[in-house]
Amino acid sequence: MSELAIRRGAAPALAVRGLDYSYPRASKPALVDVSLEIAPGEFVLLAGRSASGKSTLLKAACGLVPHFHGGEIEGEVRVADLDALPAGPGELAAAVGYLAQDPETQVVSTTVAAEIELPLEMRGDAPTDRARAVEEVALALAIPHLLDRAVDTLSGGELQRVALAAALVTRPRLILLDEPTSQLDPVAGDELIWLLRRLNEEWGVAVLLAEHRLERCLAAADRVVAMEDGGIAFDGPPRDFLRWSHDNDAALTTPAARLFSLAGLESLPVGVRDARQTLRGTGIGHPPHIASRRVPDPRPFEPVLETKNLWVELDRGEEMRDVLRGIDLEVRPGERIALMGRNGAGKSTLLRTAAGLHEPVAGKLSLDSIALLTQNPSDYLVRERVGDELPGDVGLAVLRVVGLEHAVDADPRDLSGGERQRLALAIALAGRMEGEQLPAVVALDEPTRGMDRARKDDLVALIRSLAGGGVAFVDKETTKATRPAAVVVATHDVEFASAFAERVVLLGEGVVIADGPMEEILSGGWYFATEVARVLDAPGVVTPEQGAALLRGELG
Amino acid sequence: MRAPFAYKPRRGPLQDASPGAAVAYLGSIVVVAFLYLNPLVLLAAGAAATLAGILAGARAAVRSAMKMALSLALLIAFVNALVTSRGETVIARLGDWPLFGRVDVTLEAIVAGVSYGLLAAATIVAFAVYSACVDPDRVLRTLRPLAGRSALTATLVSRLVPVAAADAARLRDAAALRGPAAAPVGKAPLARRLLAGSLDRAVDVAATLELRGYSLDAPRARNRRSRSRYDRRFYAVAALVLATAIAGKILGADDFQAYPTVAIGFGPATLAVATVVTLSGFAPFRRAVKRRPLQASRRPEVARV
Repeated sequence: MSELAIRRGAAPALAVRGLDYSYPRASKPALVDVSLEIAPGEFVLLAGRSASGKSTLLKAACGLVPHFHGGEIEGEVRVADLDALPAGPGELAAAVGYLAQDPETQVVSTTVAAEIELPLEMRGDAPTDRARAVEEVALALAIPHLLDRAVDTLSGGELQRVALAAALVTRPRLILLDEPTSQLDPVAGDELIWLLRRLNEEWGVAVLLAEHRLERCLAAADRVVAMEDGGIAFDGPPRDFLRWSHDNDAALTTPAARLFSLAGLESLPVGVRDARQTLRGTGIGHPPHIASRRVPDPRPFEPVLETKNLWVELDRGEEMRDVLRGIDLEVRPGERIALMGRNGAGKSTLLRTAAGLHEPVAGKLSLDSIALLTQNPSDYLVRERVGDELPGDVGLAVLRVVGLEHAVDADPRDLSGGERQRLALAIALAGRMEGEQLPAVVALDEPTRGMDRARKDDLVALIRSLAGGGVAFVDKETTKATRPAAVVVATHDVEFASAFAERVVLLGEGVVIADGPMEEILSGGWYFATEVARVLDAPGVVTPEQGAALLRGELG
Repeated sequence: MRAPFAYKPRRGPLQDASPGAAVAYLGSIVVVAFLYLNPLVLLAAGAAATLAGILAGARAAVRSAMKMALSLALLIAFVNALVTSRGETVIARLGDWPLFGRVDVTLEAIVAGVSYGLLAAATIVAFAVYSACVDPDRVLRTLRPLAGRSALTATLVSRLVPVAAADAARLRDAAALRGPAAAPVGKAPLARRLLAGSLDRAVDVAATLELRGYSLDAPRARNRRSRSRYDRRFYAVAALVLATAIAGKILGADDFQAYPTVAIGFGPATLAVATVVTLSGFAPFRRAVKRRPLQASRRPEVARV
């Protein structure tokens, strides 16, 4: 087929037929009899739990599987009528762009302009054509101001946009994205999804987007494909997908759909706008505003972490910058706190300063003891046996706290993602416990990156158990008060925060801009608000359960 | 945090020059350093590299390179003083040392060590200026048609270095955050972990290169900005420096003898070479554009009625 025909969209953007694939030395196939067709200009959302085959399917569509990863493959993959199996990723690059999760390894040049220009240069385009294409894609993605910057001075969100620009500069017919919002704050994440929708509508680029946080992108999608154990379990419109996930896999449903389902409403909404329209149609309209009902429990202990006018300065590029600017904060035992804010707001810096990795330049920080788990749990795992990481009785005791006592002889690399995270937490806790008593503060930095709902639910349960249900108790035999740990979690994930937190501290440019009960903070804004809060716009109502109770008239 | 030697995009003659011109210019300074042992000429080479870096806006790189270079120069001078007992001016007799034997510290050995140290220092500063001012993307672009595989390897390495540095920083933080009862992490397990992680990272970066079409045999396009208006200046300065250095060498400008007694030549040839080499450091100079101040408009008088 001629290039002109492909450009005009005569061929499907992606056609997969009967695809089976196994990674080298894998015990079971990663893809099983996958058949899928994506029309030009379609926006398809790829849903599924972790390890269901989403990433492998994307890699097969861009040629990395099998050309780069090896393994055994059968079936047919055609991208814009090019046979992907004999063609390599380089040849396919003209027709398909690919954006993976980690933007750091997706840039190979020193400056942004050179990075975006590289695929065109490799293709042999003339300098004038390259200059125009770079300018246009930079304008489309609103990054012309970054063109002369060095890539190692960019933030994660900026780097993600640059990688997307490099994937789009060849004007591909199809763009594949593997959890592109996992490292972005809610604002940047929403911006990216709507940017994709705009490119899809205005340029006619077909989009295949793998994502866990479906509530972010379901409304933008034309169609949803759900994967399960390497095969396609569902393929249809978003509204039908919600019905299917409600009946088959509740972990894949969205908060708004769960709200409607719990409230007994038949038609499940694909987004906030749809939910509001449906509510108006049913006569419920705008729910009554109710006052925040939550009153924080009085805590019997003094603060375990206290900062007064805390200032921290860090070297950013070639200049020093105040990352924290006069933070005042008190954390008491048993509190479960979500630390939220945009990328670069100072969340990680606050936790790292509390853990002693940064020195404050001014102010006061008092702290009993802290165990901090940073963003990459794998960084804590350096040995080949769990028991070697945590030797002796102390090690066993701490493994018991995180529920991994059965895995003493396992190789950390054989553990699941959630188990590796718990092991890393155990390593951070080891030796910081007094008997059964946890450190005063347990801090987790962005622990839900790349996690599906089921794993997030496990993490919520772990956080609740670490915080002792938020209640201090007195041992009857020793009459000694047991102090629960305060758990502080830096996160971008609003829905996750609503599931575990009782208090939210919102940071903006290094200062605390809001601090209060979770229900109040997560229902009082637009970006830092849950989907249910955005649907109902009722103060204090953030979870599907609360929303359903409100809709059923049980509140207010 | 960025490494001080990392390339930073700036506007300036050295940054705008084509990689060939920039390499020729900075290379000529390094060649002088390797051709001469006369400390005056070596000092001139170091001064030229430093001046070039400062004028090109790479102060941070020059500062870091100077620290590193001076430490290395002192170390070389110190070691040379210990291992070489030649020279007639004995400063200190340190007796018999195991492995070293009899150690006599002589003025000549110290001066010879300083000379080698200056050579190393000038080279380090010149490379630091190169690293901070010459766009590696343009170098690789120039290299690609000539040696595709080498360019691929260089691209992979140039990207992996900052990624590995970031990984190492994260691993160090994680090691510092381990609980006191967790198994301690020595340097060896940490290095092993970093190496294993680097291999994974290398695969990811290589996959990105593959997706950008690096393996394609497409005709290589002509490059924009292959030449700059500053190229002639840098080629001319490089040619002048090399010609002067070679002529000076022939005319005895490298008049230096460390043993048995120190003899440093300060003749006209040596002074001429040192002057030309030092002045070559001004090549990245850019004259500030003078802007004519705008004529302030006269304030209108307030009309009085």
